[in-house]
Amino acid sequence: MNSLYMPKDSLIHSLDPRTKMIFVAFVVASSFIMNDPALQLLLLVALFPLVVIAKLVKPYLISIQFLLLFAVLIMTVHGIYNPIGVTPVFEIFGGLTFKYESMVYASVMSFRILVIGTGAVLFVMTTHPSDMASALVKWKVPHSFAFILLSTFQIIPIIAREAKIVMEAQQARCLDVKGNIIQRVKNLVPMFAPLFIITFMKVHQLSYVLECRAFSRKGNKTSLRETNIGSLDYSFLLGMLAVLVFEIYLKLFMMGSLQLTTDALLTYSLIGTWVVCGFMLIKFLFKRVQGKVGGVN
Amino acid sequence: MAEQAIEVTNLTFEYPDTEEPVLKDISFSIDYGEILGIIGPTGAGKSTLAMCVNGLVPQVINGEMEGDIKVKGMNVHESNVAAMSEHVGFVFQEPENQLSQMTIEEEIAFGMGNLGVPREEMLGRIKDALSQVSLEGFEERSPLALSGGQQQRLAIAAVLAMRPTIMIMDEPTSMLDPKGKNEVYDVLKNLKAYGMTGIIIDHEVERIAAYCDKVLVLDGGEVQMFGTTEEVFTKIDRLHELTLHAPQVTEFLSQYNQQFDGKLDLATTVKKAVEVYESANK
Repeated sequence: MNSLYMPKDSLIHSLDPRTKMIFVAFVVASSFIMNDPALQLLLLVALFPLVVIAKLVKPYLISIQFLLLFAVLIMTVHGIYNPIGVTPVFEIFGGLTFKYESMVYASVMSFRILVIGTGAVLFVMTTHPSDMASALVKWKVPHSFAFILLSTFQIIPIIAREAKIVMEAQQARCLDVKGNIIQRVKNLVPMFAPLFIITFMKVHQLSYVLECRAFSRKGNKTSLRETNIGSLDYSFLLGMLAVLVFEIYLKLFMMGSLQLTTDALLTYSLIGTWVVCGFMLIKFLFKRVQGKVGGVN
Repeated sequence: MAEQAIEVTNLTFEYPDTEEPVLKDISFSIDYGEILGIIGPTGAGKSTLAMCVNGLVPQVINGEMEGDIKVKGMNVHESNVAAMSEHVGFVFQEPENQLSQMTIEEEIAFGMGNLGVPREEMLGRIKDALSQVSLEGFEERSPLALSGGQQQRLAIAAVLAMRPTIMIMDEPTSMLDPKGKNEVYDVLKNLKAYGMTGIIIDHEVERIAAYCDKVLVLDGGEVQMFGTTEEVFTKIDRLHELTLHAPQVTEFLSQYNQQFDGKLDLATTVKKAVEVYESANK
């Protein structure tokens, strides 16, 4: 299996892929409706129970690490240098000042990445690609499009294997793959040209095979994988709708009186991401050192 | 004449980028339940001929075609490949290129899904197809995790599940090791038991002699010989002219006849050859 799908037995897994696709759209929409750092942080925290229900806490945290890296960069760089900032909040060494407006801007942006990332991870990790494809077909998405989505999972490992074969073959013909960087970049051509040709030939043959399996046949098509929208899906959809309505209400009528975003919140979230990132860096360095020292276990 | 399973008359085909036709005036027919082996040197047009039968040539692979091909009384010209696939299954040479789904059961279900087979029936057919190629218990695995022989058998199973009456295999064993070849030919033998009509292209004359009813020898795009397995493989001199050879037992008996002025009948299978040889030495 080459997808990120994690087969687990959970409520989220048993939802229909269509519900989960709507859920992703809902997460994206709400991350744009609530463009306030405090509310987005709330949204992020609110999504976490779903991750727990899906029994995906560990893989989720691993994959969200990388998004956190973006968040740290955006918050730090924008917080200091974004020209929209006027009100200084605090200063770090060397006279670099974090400004309130730019910090709000940066936090909204980076929290949005985290929120959308969480939604996407939830979807990808709980949905089998084939289920997604058959759900798309039920939504009247062309069959060939669903097939393209699905076949990427199949073709990528094949291409990776072919790439290895091509590389070894070219190495056997004295292609230097361990030279300096310029040489290596030059050598990409004799690597990729055959790889492209091989891939095209493979895909071409696959098209004949598909033709022989009646792929272009008109009429009703059936699928082995059954996806059904049940009562669970309806309650989930209703829940999403309720939250969405509440968000819009909040946005339209409450924004004036509700002021959750404070200097302290911004500062703490910035420092929080720094701390987590620093921790990741230390872990990474520790692993590298351990690898270098070697054999210590 | 009664309706034949496959009837090819005066077939000529030319690819757009070649000067000479790859197939020249080919005519042959096979009856229901017969298995035809096509042999010939590389480039003789074997694959093109096979692809003509299910309509891939000239509908998907372009070229100029003349002549008639009738499969189960239907004119292939007037149909399309997708519609033909209900009647004609096609197994290609490379096992890996034929697989496109994430698990084995989905791979087998793919063709059926395109034909609109209801889900309940699919499950039964998947079981059947897997047992025909003896791949039971692999349902949830990824096709890429199988060995070459298993992949080819899976490709065959995927075609079998569509329940065609005619099965065409284009060098299904050339990428496989001896064990894989045996596995594929065992499946072929099963097909015969199921009463399916088959065309198989291969270079292994021994196996062709053992499993096929008729043999067609193709060279330079022309039918050089066509007849029952016995008829074709006993004309050893003609085969040698075409740089082909007969099964080793037949070659042995012919060599024996030459060297010792024997008058042994030529046999194409080991069992028969032993009998012939035994009776000669009594």
